[in-house]
Amino acid sequence: MRRLLALVLLVQALNVGIANAAAKNLVLIVADPYLEMHSGPGRGFPVVYVIERDELVTVLYSRTDWFKVRGARGNEGWVRRADLARTLLESGEPAPIPPYPEFASHRWELGAGYGVYNRENLVTAYADFGLTRSLDVELVVQQAFGTLDDRYVASVGVRHTFIPEWKWFSPTAGLGTAYQYIQDKVPPAPLQKSNEMAYVSVGARGFITRRFLWRADWRHYVVFNNQNAYKDLEEWKFGLAVFF
Amino acid sequence: MEIRLSCILLAATLLCGCSWFHRGHKAPSEIVAEEPQGEPSIIEPQVTRRVVKTPHIKAKDFELGGYYGVLSIQDFGTNPLYGVRAAYHVSEDIFLEGFLARSKAGTTSLEDVFPNITVVSDSGRRFTYYDLDVGYNILPGEIFLGRGRAFNSALYVMVGMGDVKFADKDQFALNFGVGERLLITDWLAVHVDVRDHIFETSLTGRTKNVDNLEATLGLTVFF
Repeated sequence: MRRLLALVLLVQALNVGIANAAAKNLVLIVADPYLEMHSGPGRGFPVVYVIERDELVTVLYSRTDWFKVRGARGNEGWVRRADLARTLLESGEPAPIPPYPEFASHRWELGAGYGVYNRENLVTAYADFGLTRSLDVELVVQQAFGTLDDRYVASVGVRHTFIPEWKWFSPTAGLGTAYQYIQDKVPPAPLQKSNEMAYVSVGARGFITRRFLWRADWRHYVVFNNQNAYKDLEEWKFGLAVFF
Repeated sequence: MEIRLSCILLAATLLCGCSWFHRGHKAPSEIVAEEPQGEPSIIEPQVTRRVVKTPHIKAKDFELGGYYGVLSIQDFGTNPLYGVRAAYHVSEDIFLEGFLARSKAGTTSLEDVFPNITVVSDSGRRFTYYDLDVGYNILPGEIFLGRGRAFNSALYVMVGMGDVKFADKDQFALNFGVGERLLITDWLAVHVDVRDHIFETSLTGRTKNVDNLEATLGLTVFF
């Protein structure tokens, strides 16, 4: 009896949960003559349902440029962002469909790429936070594969984008500090397994599509060691990134 | 008599006038005190402004899952492989994906024929890789199962690079491949992938590029 009661309570709680979840979805009114619902989140998928003007549509979630919606009769499908943006809230205001972040003033960037570091193949990944439109802080981790050793490099620096309004090509320059760890492959072992470094960089970035961008960088490192002589290293790399 | 009456009336009127006049010069605080305690003349509406919060639309652009299959390590036989994968879908065409997997190499023909010879130590037979790829959905569409069921799917190509750790050494490796993503529901996908990992090695004598083909079956969740 107790189990049954517990089960009933659980089902009740789940029901409430589902009801709450349903209440959290955005409900919009179709303002165009009709709204097309595709069978999948892509331009080639066929239109399977149509929602008429003044009918309600519930937005469930989004995937890239497409929104999964449910019509008043319970039929579900995918609607293009541009189409959904022309619907209205129940209050009559325009639908709050978030636009893509502006490329010139985006905050976050995550990317990866290929490069050459000290004449070795390099795999690089980075995260970047925009302090202003033209000044960014970047954190980079990379692994270089050499014949004599492998190197792991982490760096923190600032980068200035000269003309952020230039969408397709904009020059950049930066400076920062770095740390490298050398993993020996072939003897003799390096005199120092790790070094602190400083770098200056020049590069360029440009918009590709949606939230996609490319970035190219050339860096000159100064390696600080305990041998009374600075060593210089060079690196160039090219990467693709996503911005938010 | 009449004059006397008029005098009394005049006196009464004067008294009234004086008393009214006197009342007119009372201190303001006393005036306030004498005002009737009724409802205030200006009605202040007791309305609290309703904050309308529009619900947030959840984006399900990330994909996370695991895969299992076989990896053919050149010169070292074909062996089981397992790994994890995570992807971010940038647009309906492009996605970025990361892979992390491991396998264990078998023995070379040389080791099979001459059991005393060891090309790679036991610990060095572990084959581990990570890859950073960019992918493109070249053939999106639907797959039909019977009359009443259709699944969204996409044939995609991938290219990328990463690290292969084999024979206790890290090597820079390029990879490319092709795969099919079949969405059982909007949030659950099955993947069938074939990829090639190419890197340079001199394990078997001379330096050469080796192809390491893998065929895997994966399951991922969109969130």
